[in-house]
Amino acid sequence: MTKPIKKSIKSAIALSAVAVLGLAGCAESNSEPLVIGSQAYYSNEIVAEVYAQVLENAGYSVDRQFALGQRDVYVPALLAGEIDLFPEYTGNLLQHFDPAATATAEEDVYQALQAALPAGLTALALSGASDQDSYNVTSDFAMKNNLTSIADLAGVSGIRLGGAPELAERPYGPMGLMSFYGVTVEFEATGDTTVESLEAGLIDMANVYSADPRIQQLGLVTLTDPQGLFLSSNLVPIASDAVNQEARDLINAVSSAMTAADLVALNVRSVEEQLSSAVIARDWLLSKGLID
Amino acid sequence: MFSIGELFDWLTDPENWTGRYGLANLFVEHLTLTLVSLAIAGLLAIPIGIAIGQSGRGETLVIAISSASRAIPTMGLMFALVMLMGVEFRQFAVVLALVGIAIPPILAGAYSGIKSIPIVIREGARAQGMTTLQQIRHVGLPLSAPSMVGGFKIAYLQVVSTVVLAPLVGLGGLGFGVIQGLALRDFAQLTGSALVIVLLSITGERLLARAQRTSHRRLTHSKIGR
Repeated sequence: MTKPIKKSIKSAIALSAVAVLGLAGCAESNSEPLVIGSQAYYSNEIVAEVYAQVLENAGYSVDRQFALGQRDVYVPALLAGEIDLFPEYTGNLLQHFDPAATATAEEDVYQALQAALPAGLTALALSGASDQDSYNVTSDFAMKNNLTSIADLAGVSGIRLGGAPELAERPYGPMGLMSFYGVTVEFEATGDTTVESLEAGLIDMANVYSADPRIQQLGLVTLTDPQGLFLSSNLVPIASDAVNQEARDLINAVSSAMTAADLVALNVRSVEEQLSSAVIARDWLLSKGLID
Repeated sequence: MFSIGELFDWLTDPENWTGRYGLANLFVEHLTLTLVSLAIAGLLAIPIGIAIGQSGRGETLVIAISSASRAIPTMGLMFALVMLMGVEFRQFAVVLALVGIAIPPILAGAYSGIKSIPIVIREGARAQGMTTLQQIRHVGLPLSAPSMVGGFKIAYLQVVSTVVLAPLVGLGGLGFGVIQGLALRDFAQLTGSALVIVLLSITGERLLARAQRTSHRRLTHSKIGR
């Protein structure tokens, strides 16, 4: 009984050795696969998957390194050349490299980011889609106080603002509301339950990412920001020197095709239909005619 | 990028101790959440542990609960309960989750305390004509006190470190400084808050360890039950 088993183990080892050698041979003859990274954020992962599929469709081999956590974790890997392509957000990334940056408008932020990026990394074409901090109120609260813009809050007293703990100290937090709009708020650290707290009436205004599907689902009113309190944060692909011009053109085509509404729609499909990012990315690319 | 001097400056700046999210307020919130959860868990687990140890029935329950508790993802439980009960009741949801993680060690401490009393002593108490309640009061409780306090000591450490997650669901506590400091890369705030959490854990643990020793010494140097 034992002999045949031993034999089969031996042949399995031999087979896998051959397979490993064969794969190694492949890697040598072709160019290295492009490593595409993403944050541990479902929306970011969908965009990374879009990049991956458009490149694969053009014959590139890609290595998906998704859900890499937050900037503190993956930026060092980007700098070390371990990741070649990463979907990022202009404002937040600029703040990472240059915490003292003052630009808030879309184009200014993009230019400041290009200047702030370390050598070896390039910001490709800016996308019209953005995913940035925004202040939201319930439609009831907006109606009752006649609100459309953050500036309208100046006449309302006792506003409770909810958000992540760090919002208390961010330039666009309570201090920024005061200096930009003369609005006084009481800060509540609602953490990951911010939207739920807004719904439950524990807070009056919530800091929610603008591409969050729940803004649409719950009919929240996003207050406009005429004074540019918030840093614009448009979707922007960050590429290493390993990404060649042809690949860059493919990714730039994706960026110019993706609108703000598209990004929200992708997020809605993920949250409501619970589809995988591969399916969502493929459907979107097909609908835009970017892959066949 | 960060020095002990900065940490010292941060800890001694009165501005960091006052206000809604100042250290003083966060400390009180942290301690309150911890003590309330431990008290509720104790009220539930001590009688059950004693009953099981005394009667010898339901022992598998103790083993099942204490081993299952090791597999519970605390953060997930906290989030699930907050979502289930609604954010309006997040205090209750978080306390419920904390009670959930505090029960197993307290239950195990009470049960094994009673269980480890030599059969000669227990039978002796019964032979003297003590009722079950008298046996528990005069023999069971004093003899198992060190083990019970030991259970609380483990539960305290687990709860005090889990409360750090409370700011994620909109509650206060010393975890606020850790989470905010991490996001803002304010390492003085991060380490300062962490240091206070560590001191709170160690102080509580030392106090309970001393209580455990005292209750043990009382056993070996005095007449029990009288």
